[in-house]
Amino acid sequence: MRMRGVTGTAGCGHGRGEGAEVLLVRVAGGDHQAFEELYGLISGPVFGLVRRVVRDPAQSEEVVQEVLLELWRSAARFDPARGSALSWILTLAHRRAVDRVRSARAAGEREQREALRAGEPAFDHVTEEVEAGLEREWVRRCLRRLTDLQRQSVTLAYYDGYTYREVAERLSLPLGTVKTRMRDGLNRLRGCLGGAA
Amino acid sequence: MSVFTRLLRREDPHSLAAPYALDALDPAERRRFGKHLAGCGRCTAEVRELSEDAVRLAWSTAAPAPAALRERVLAAVRTTPQEPAPAGRPRTAQLPPHVWGVQPPPARARRAGPRPLFVPFATVTAAAALVIASLFAVQTHRTEGRLAAERARARDIAHVLAAPDARATAGTDGHGRALAVVASPSEGRAVVTLSGYGSPSRGRVHQLWLTRPGAGPRSLGLLSGDTPLAVKGLEKSAVSLAVTVEPNGGSAHPTGQPVVQLTLKSVGFGE
Repeated sequence: MRMRGVTGTAGCGHGRGEGAEVLLVRVAGGDHQAFEELYGLISGPVFGLVRRVVRDPAQSEEVVQEVLLELWRSAARFDPARGSALSWILTLAHRRAVDRVRSARAAGEREQREALRAGEPAFDHVTEEVEAGLEREWVRRCLRRLTDLQRQSVTLAYYDGYTYREVAERLSLPLGTVKTRMRDGLNRLRGCLGGAA
Repeated sequence: MSVFTRLLRREDPHSLAAPYALDALDPAERRRFGKHLAGCGRCTAEVRELSEDAVRLAWSTAAPAPAALRERVLAAVRTTPQEPAPAGRPRTAQLPPHVWGVQPPPARARRAGPRPLFVPFATVTAAAALVIASLFAVQTHRTEGRLAAERARARDIAHVLAAPDARATAGTDGHGRALAVVASPSEGRAVVTLSGYGSPSRGRVHQLWLTRPGAGPRSLGLLSGDTPLAVKGLEKSAVSLAVTVEPNGGSAHPTGQPVVQLTLKSVGFGE
């Protein structure tokens, strides 16, 4: 069974419910109460995702704060026709996290980061601080069902913030192959996770 | 306009749908593919589906945010104004007036241009909101050492905002990127904000240019992130503002095509 809807706590709620859309519309109208409720719903997923990508705790908090402020400022830009609210929010968070980790890397933290994870497959780095939710277990299980190259292509990009060119370089694959592995990986993941839910 | 001219080249753009959904494109490719998406229904549908898959990966990383973060965010939100809905999309009836803190500039309806590549905001107030929102954002990140410079800049900005003929305009590209300006032709001053373009790659900067009839572009200075830039000495005949990516320190003349360009006609220039 999967938890759904607004849960005041971070973590296992899959929360693809109606709650976020309604809250986001209220937030767009300047409703502070709605923002607090939305915070309860999304701070866990946003924080977890950003920290997963950015790694550094202080920088992660900065990025999360930026993302949440941006959410407040630009809530009116959310267009329900283009996807769910949670998808929109996590896409925004992911993009900001990736931007940050790339500039941090460019600034020379690359070696340090790589030393931390040498030799381990990226998907095993999921943090252990939250009780393992069913969703997490499902995602892990499904990631394991991908081929190695599919999994690495997807996780190096999504969890580690590498561009597909960098992924190709790290895996010594042609660019076209990486693009295909990414697409096949996501498609297979969808099949395993059970569609768009 | 030059933004339109740099279209997709080399590879089949469709193949970039998965890297795009995973945020695995560099900024230039992301921009190019974003433009391609705007005119490709098949890609849009595919990207939406792939993005939902990518988001499933996000859910599995959820972790409780530190308690202190909540207070910081809620406090920051209390002093941060919001942007109105983008042009071309009707606002919902539930949207109350936006928080200004200062009296809003006169609303002057303008026709929306062709979507989705580069459209003017529906109203002048929307453009001003963008500039003002970025002022707040700057204030929250300000450090002690930069206080004096910030004060001087705040004075310059206040000067422009207080001018009786100050007007605002902005261009946005449908992906949250915008160039916004509040300008006063009588003072020859303006406050310019670039938002959503991030930082150019290492060793490069965003440089702001003024285009004029019968003369080459004149540099107005370098833009740092979305920090507003106060500029003066704008001639009445000025035509537009343009932003290019230049090597660190800036260039004497633009070395590339503008990443964004904004006409100044609606704020009273070009006469």
